[in-house]
Order: sequence, then C-alpha cells, then structure tokens
Amino acid sequence: MQLDVAFLIDWGSAAIRLATPLVLAAVGGVYAERSGVFNIGIEGMMLSGAFVAVAVSYFLGAADPAVASLCAAIAAMLAGGGMAFVHAYLSITRRADQIISGAAINILALGLTNTLYRVVWGSAGRERVAGFPTIRIPILADIPVLGPILFDHSLIVYVAYVLPFIAAFVLFRTTWGLNIRAAGDFPLAVDTAGLSVTVTRYVAVVFSGMMAGLGGAALALGAVRYFTPGMTAGRGFIVLGAIVFGRWNPILASFACLLFGAADALQLRAQALSIGIPYQFLVMLPYLLAVLAIAGAIGRSSPPLALGRPYRRGER
Amino acid sequence: MAIGRGYSLRQMLRTAAYRAVTPVLSVFLAFLVSAAIIIAVGTDPIVAFGSMLNGAFGSQTALATTGVRMTPILFTGLAVAVSFRAGIFNVGAEGQLYLGAAFGAAVALLPIGLPAFIHIPLALIAGFIGGAAWAFVPGYLRAYRGVSEVVTTLMLNFVAIQLVSYLVDPLVGPIGERGAAYAQSAVIDPAAKLPILLRGTSLHAGLILGLALAVALWILIGYTRLGFRMRMLGANPIAARFAGVKSAREIMTVMLLSGGIAGLAGAVEVIGLRYRLFDHFSPGYGYDGIAVALLANSNPLGVILSSGFFAALRAGANSMQQATGIETSVVLIIQALTILFLIFRPLRDWIGSRAGRPPRLAQDSLIDAA
Repeated sequence: MQLDVAFLIDWGSAAIRLATPLVLAAVGGVYAERSGVFNIGIEGMMLSGAFVAVAVSYFLGAADPAVASLCAAIAAMLAGGGMAFVHAYLSITRRADQIISGAAINILALGLTNTLYRVVWGSAGRERVAGFPTIRIPILADIPVLGPILFDHSLIVYVAYVLPFIAAFVLFRTTWGLNIRAAGDFPLAVDTAGLSVTVTRYVAVVFSGMMAGLGGAALALGAVRYFTPGMTAGRGFIVLGAIVFGRWNPILASFACLLFGAADALQLRAQALSIGIPYQFLVMLPYLLAVLAIAGAIGRSSPPLALGRPYRRGER
Repeated sequence: MAIGRGYSLRQMLRTAAYRAVTPVLSVFLAFLVSAAIIIAVGTDPIVAFGSMLNGAFGSQTALATTGVRMTPILFTGLAVAVSFRAGIFNVGAEGQLYLGAAFGAAVALLPIGLPAFIHIPLALIAGFIGGAAWAFVPGYLRAYRGVSEVVTTLMLNFVAIQLVSYLVDPLVGPIGERGAAYAQSAVIDPAAKLPILLRGTSLHAGLILGLALAVALWILIGYTRLGFRMRMLGANPIAARFAGVKSAREIMTVMLLSGGIAGLAGAVEVIGLRYRLFDHFSPGYGYDGIAVALLANSNPLGVILSSGFFAALRAGANSMQQATGIETSVVLIIQALTILFLIFRPLRDWIGSRAGRPPRLAQDSLIDAA
C-alpha cells in the first residue's frame, strides 16, 4: 500500500465510519457529565444498543431495509436509555456511587448480550441483517478526494455530522442547556431557581444512554451488519476519553472522536503501510491524549465542578 | 468504624455478622433474578446452579480450579479495597496488573542462575514496582493537582494493555518471541516459577501469598498508624486534615500501595500460572477487583471470602455450560446484579433499620471525598 490519493480516500472514509458510533455516544456523554453524572456505563449501553439493533433488524428481516434499520435504531435507543435509567435511578435518586453503578451496568450488558446472543441465534452464529441504507449525496460526492471521504456513507453518518452542532447549540444557547450545565457545576443554583436537579440529571443521563444505544446501532448496522459478543471492545471508554479531550464540549468532543477514528483506521492499515510505528501505539493514543488533557499538559481541561457528586438538599 | 482495639470477641462477631447481612442478601437476590433468567431460557435453575456448585467445589480438581481463579482477583480485590478505605477510587487495577506482569516477567525471564528463594521474591518485587509505577501518575495528579483519579486510572488501563501487547509483539516486541503464533514472551526461568501446591493441578503458591497479604493488610488497616490515617482520610478528609494528616502524602502512599498490590496480581499470574507474558492475558481481573472489594465492604479479610465467591462462580460456570448449555456469561449477570443490589440503598437502609444502626459502605466515604 502506498501513500497516495486512493489511500487517503480509503483512510479518510474509514476514519469517518469508525468515528460515527463514538461521536453519537460522546454527544450524549457530554450531556450526562455536564449535568453532573459520570456515565462510565456508556460501553455497556452501546453494547446493548448494538445487540438490540441487530436483533430487531433480524426479526424484521422481511421488511424494507430502511424501515427495519429505523426500527432497529429506535429499539437501540430504548435499550440504551433503559440501561441509563437504571444508572440514573441508582446514582441520582439512590445516590449510589456513579462509578460503581456504571461499572456494574457494563458487566450486566456484557452478560445479558452474551447470553441472549445464544438464545436468538443459537449455534448458527452471526447472520447478516439489514443495515442503514447507504446514501451517496449527489454533486457533493463528486468533489475530488473530499467527496468520497465525506459524502458517500450510510445514513447514520450524516446524523453524526449534524448532531454535535445541534447539541452544542442546545447546551450553550438555550435555557435547557443552561439548566444542564448548572446542574453539573452548581446544582444549588438550579434548586434555588425552583427547578429540579433530579429531573435535569435524569433527562441528561437517559439521553446519554439513548445516544450510546444509537452509537451501538451505528457500530453494528453501519458496516458489519451482524452482532458479535463484546463487539464494542472498549469504544465506550474511548468515548470517555474523547469527552475529556474535547473539554466537555459536544463539537470538540466529536472532533476528538474523529481524531481517534482516524488513529483507529490508520492502525488497521499500519502494518500494510509499514510506517514504522507499532500499531499498539496508535491504539493507545486516544487514552494517552485523554490523560494528558486532564493532567493539563494540553490546554486546560477541567470537569464540571459537581461531576460525580450526588445532590442533597440543604447540603453544601 | 473498623474493628479496632477495645472490642470484645462477642462484639466483634456481632459486628461481623451484621456486616455480612447486606452482601449475603445481595448475592441471594442476584441468584434469584438469574434463576428467573435461566427459567426464561428454558432450563431448570436448580440443575444449573447444582452443576455450578459441583464444578466449583465438587472435586479436588474443581477446588484447585477455583483456587487458581481466585488468586488474581484476591490480589486485585485487595488493591481496590485498600484504595477504597482511603476514599480513593483506583479503577486502574487492570492496567497496574499488566505493568506488574511485564515487570515481573522481565525479571523472571532473566537466567540469572539464582536460587528460587531469591529469584521469586525479586520477580514479585519487580511486579510490585511495575504496578506502583503505573499508579504513580494518577496518584500524583490526584494528590498534588486535584485531578480525579477515576478517569486517569481508567484511561491508563488501555495504555497498559497496548504497551504489554507491544512488548510481546512477535515482530517488533522487545521481549516478544520471534515467529511465535501468539504474542507472547519466552518461557520464564525455571527458578522463578512459583511452586505448585497440588500435584496434577495448576494450583500454585500465589494463593498462599494472597491470603497472607490479606491478613497483613487487615492488620495494617486496623492496627497501625498508617492504617488509621488511611481510614480517617476515607471517612472524613476534612477532619483528617485538621487532625494533621498530610492528605497529599497519604494519597500518594495509598495509590502506590494499591497499584503495587495490583502489580503483584500480574506478576503472580505470570510466574505462578502462565510462565510467559501474553498479550491480553487478563479477562478483566482488575475490574473484578472492584466487585470483590465492594462485596467485601473493603475489609481485607472479607476480600478472601468475596474473591472466593466470584472465583467459584467462574469455575462453576464451565461445568454449568457443559451440563445445561447455558452460556458462562450468566455469571457476569450474577456479578453485575450483586453489585447493583449492594449499592441499592433501600436494601441497606432496610437492613440498617432492622439492625438498629445505620450501615456504612465504602462508597459513602467515596462520595464525601469526591
């Protein structure tokens, strides 16, 4: 393989494809953390989303692929949202430790999907299902180099293009967004203003779970179109890194995801390219950058002030 | 809050029994829900759990398997428990385990010709240093820069896994066996191998080391100055500062100790069981440590019981699968549900009201310290 235009298109297109599930989950994760709840369970919520998406698409096999994938995406969001609701209940209402609750959800999702995988598909193993339809945007896709990289993808990729900007607008320019940010930085203010910290955090956490579920659907139905046990393989944790590296900003976090997607895509091609960097260093890059970002080595990156702290009335 | 001086034996037993109620009930409820899932899948849960029990304790081989499974999570459980007691959340036991395994393997691979009673301790010390080194940066950031240790320790896990994968890479890894089918190091020096406890099985002396460490840590936490300062830091960091506990130094000490113990888990796994360093060799022992410590309420002696319990689940899962065809991942569901019931406060509050005094688990102090 050579470093030429064909490689660039192949690499760029793969980077976008690999970044899409991360972007979707990261946008949700930013909301949860901005509201003051750490969601370490994104990995498990993505995995549940991936499983449910493939299962629904499988059972709707006879339906139109577009309808099947839409139903699958909705089901995946419900699955992720359901998992997130458990996390919200334990960490907000019950004030349990958010890390432990999230970690338990990751284990639960792995156990449930592994077990149900056998129930649904038996020993038949993986079976390809209908995925998101591929859309080649006319005119734009004809732009040299950039066109095929950016505008020849499955439907869900385009969702990931616009979502971060909408999410950022809502978070930084609307009252809802202000509520969420205040709940994470200074919940007492939200409470004093007569608004509910609990409701705000529930909404943000369940939204985070739904986006993680959708991210899982994007992972499973975007390219491979089947489910393998544990297929998220740590992507939920990369998302956590991207949130930190993206300074809790949906747009920056999404660009961090894109960078990590590009590193992942390069890693898959590194051996064929013989660029001299062992692929392991490319795989560890996202995590290393997240640590450097939070350590203050790359700009300033400080979390929401009340992140990880349950809110109790009358307590400061 | 811990068993300290001046308690009578009867009081100690009563406290211990009282503390056991929540964990036992959580485990029971987790099994109950899992039984419902097993019924839904179309199998008799009695048969399933029976074959599980048999696979974990039914024979000498089964017991040995349980012991082998128990060893790494006993160490990581202790590592996490030590950090919990000081109000620190070390989620990085997985990464520290990998670094400990790498350091331990590096020393164990050297054909230095020293007798086993020197070579083995050297490998163990190296493992401890490797784990502690990996915990140093998160510890420093938490202690002196106020950066939460949760994200840093978690992220460094993945860095560590890739680092070990690089070290044993069959093409470019510095200690990778060239041309091997798997990413692995060479076989370690025979003098560095831990002795086998039970002939014909893989049960190795690592289990004894873990048990001894649990007792040592129980004494350290309950009966020494360092332990007292640790507990104070965990229970109330502000009061601890007023009482003259230098929290930054204490946090560093605890992080290094916790990381070092997790590192031991990795080194013991290499010199006791596998005799090589493999990439991706841990199926999440570091994360299991969190569940183990939690179920034990961060008591080092309790960790012995809870790691034994989770190990029995894992060891029994295989025979359950052979007998009933149910996926071994059912044990993951049991493990997750146990944790969820443990942190589900109404259960604890209800037990608390029965017992006449409020229960206090590790995460209370974690929240206060956050």
